[in-house]
Amino acid sequence: MQEFKSIKDLPEIELFTGGSSACAGCGGTMGLKLALKALGPKTIIVNASGCMTLLPLYPTTPLKVSWIHNAIENASSTAAGVRHGLDMQGHDDMNVVVYAGDGATYDIGFASLSSAAVKNERIIYICYNNQSYGNTGFQWSSSTPYGSETKTTPRGRENQIGTTFVQKDMIKIMGAHRVYAASASLAYPVDFLNKIERAKNRKGFSYIELLGSCTAGWNYDSRLTIKMSKLAVHSGMWPLYEIEEGILNLNKDFKELKPIEEFLELQGRYKKLPAYGVQKLRSLINQHWTELKEYNGRRYV
Amino acid sequence: MKQTLITGNEAAAWGARLARPQYIPSFPITPQTECIETLARWGADGELPNTYFDRLESEHSVMSAAVGAAAVGNRVFTATSSQGLLLMHEVLYIAAGMRLPIVMATISRGLSAPVTLWSDHNDFLDQRDSGWLMFHAENNQEVLDMILMAYRVAEDHKVLLPVMVNMDGFVLSFTDEPVTIPSFEMVDKFLLDYTPEHTITPDRPVTIGAVALDEYTFFRAQNHVAARNALGVIEQVQDEFEKIFGRNYDLVDEFMMDDAELVLITQGSMSTTTKAAIKEMRADGIKVGLLRLRIIRPWPASAIKEALKNARAIAVIDRNVAPGKGGIMFPEIVETLYYLESRPLISSFIVGLGGNPQTEEKIKEITHKLMEDLETGKSRVEWNDVEES
Ligand SMILES: Cc1ncc(C[n+]2csc(CCOP(=O)(O)OP(=O)(O)O)c2C)c(N)n1
Ligand code: SF4
Repeated sequence: MQEFKSIKDLPEIELFTGGSSACAGCGGTMGLKLALKALGPKTIIVNASGCMTLLPLYPTTPLKVSWIHNAIENASSTAAGVRHGLDMQGHDDMNVVVYAGDGATYDIGFASLSSAAVKNERIIYICYNNQSYGNTGFQWSSSTPYGSETKTTPRGRENQIGTTFVQKDMIKIMGAHRVYAASASLAYPVDFLNKIERAKNRKGFSYIELLGSCTAGWNYDSRLTIKMSKLAVHSGMWPLYEIEEGILNLNKDFKELKPIEEFLELQGRYKKLPAYGVQKLRSLINQHWTELKEYNGRRYV
Repeated sequence: MKQTLITGNEAAAWGARLARPQYIPSFPITPQTECIETLARWGADGELPNTYFDRLESEHSVMSAAVGAAAVGNRVFTATSSQGLLLMHEVLYIAAGMRLPIVMATISRGLSAPVTLWSDHNDFLDQRDSGWLMFHAENNQEVLDMILMAYRVAEDHKVLLPVMVNMDGFVLSFTDEPVTIPSFEMVDKFLLDYTPEHTITPDRPVTIGAVALDEYTFFRAQNHVAARNALGVIEQVQDEFEKIFGRNYDLVDEFMMDDAELVLITQGSMSTTTKAAIKEMRADGIKVGLLRLRIIRPWPASAIKEALKNARAIAVIDRNVAPGKGGIMFPEIVETLYYLESRPLISSFIVGLGGNPQTEEKIKEITHKLMEDLETGKSRVEWNDVEES
């Protein structure tokens, strides 16, 4: 297995060329561009309906790899069919990779995801998590964090918080499927691509979740995507860790987390979140971070 | 070739096995269960050597996986019923739009609520506009034969569309009938290796299922043209089928139609009962015949018009209902005959919903109503099993 030590090691191969219709600075798009460096040309991307579905626009595509889009809730089962189909044709050297948003992953496609994971299908599942239904214009999904405003959880006179639910702990849930589950960040490409390398070399299902910051919905300047991604990790809003065989491994440890305000202030979706909301969000994050530290190197699920 | 007593579900499983599909995704639902269980058992016994039998968590995923495997060039088979078929509905359009020659057995069962396990055709006909070709079998032999023919039609490069082959739940699915099971050698002569044209392979990147803007309509039009092409292909395939297997099929099934003035139009297994009733009525001197719709999509309009050219009164017997309208096939027949110079009277009868028995007596009753229609010159829309108020 190849291991990347520094950013200089990352493959030069470019399988994502110009001409996509995604927003400038889109984290999901940058994530796919990066992922393809580790995945290589013998890859088929199985996409769930979402922002990335607009990358190929008939009759053009920015991608130099195969791509199939079926619907929103069935990327995992489509991928299972593709995987077995390729194996039956003797093409077991191809990577079958799901690239799906958080809505398609946490919500509507969860049944098919869970089924493929439980059967340990040889699929690499990458969820680009923009913490909303991005393509339909930034509505709530079950990965939207507490305190974020969305189009279907707007702040108003009755509800000053916006999203009052706490998001699903998807990595823990996927870890409990006894598959490889990990979080990743654009600010740590070496870590991200090494996780893909590990997934490529596994005989079964791997789940990698990338924070895919969304310039349009989070409402921030597209120059700030990497800074945003880094702050998310440093503030504990997006910790980097992995679960394998039920054992947790914290990939980026910090003695002290940065205050979340620095991350929140850059974005429109947390504007006007009242102090008690920030307080609650902070405590949720500290709780999660404490749990991760406590279980680091131990059985987590 | 051997003749044996098997159920409709087993006949479908045999049809699939003989076609040597590479991938069979599955999810259980009554009355289809026995079909996939049979295939699973064969798989476990090593009798499906080049097939991967898969279990998914829902029918939506079954059809999605079927799409995935077909997109990389596999021959795919699956089966479902009722709510399962409805759950697949979204992906049926996608399979057709991607021009994937998947073959699926559908075993009809009425739809909830209330729950019924028994047959009617609403589940099947609900998929009418999905772009799939739709065949409907009368008996277990035809189930097997239609599945073999379905692959030939689906995989023809002039067509490249998925096909569903329907049988009536319980009436066929769990009833033993004598079925001739052809040998693999014969089937291999009939069903050539599938050579897909536009599939994903490691050496050639392909994009499937992309967004299209103005071109959308052209893709849909191609779908329509392909379905129309299928009519000629079906006829060719039927001829070749007869040469190899000795059984003869036409686009429509005609029974005692030569001099028939009264025509009953049916689908599926109730046609057998109808034929028996017609024989008895013929003995009484009633000039009645049957036209069975075997191929629902593509719609064999010319064959239907030709068969009905001497009819004076027609009963479209629908084992389904479009609430607020009437039987689903009734308007299709009316439209087909609209441009004829002399139009017969056409009445609609809704019968046998949710397995309500379709008896010879009921068929005779309908025929007598047709005779009344001829006298009054008026057609009707009627429920056979209930009083409409
Ligand atoms: C069955 C169905 N319901 C709704 C939609 C509309 N839809 C298209 S994309 C999308 C949002 C997907 O969100 P996510 O998976 O998070 O991906 P993103 O758009 O954020 O990239 C929705 C709801 C659909 N395509 N299919
Ligand atoms: S809306 Fe957000 S996720 Fe979608 S393309 Fe734009 S930046 Fe990316």
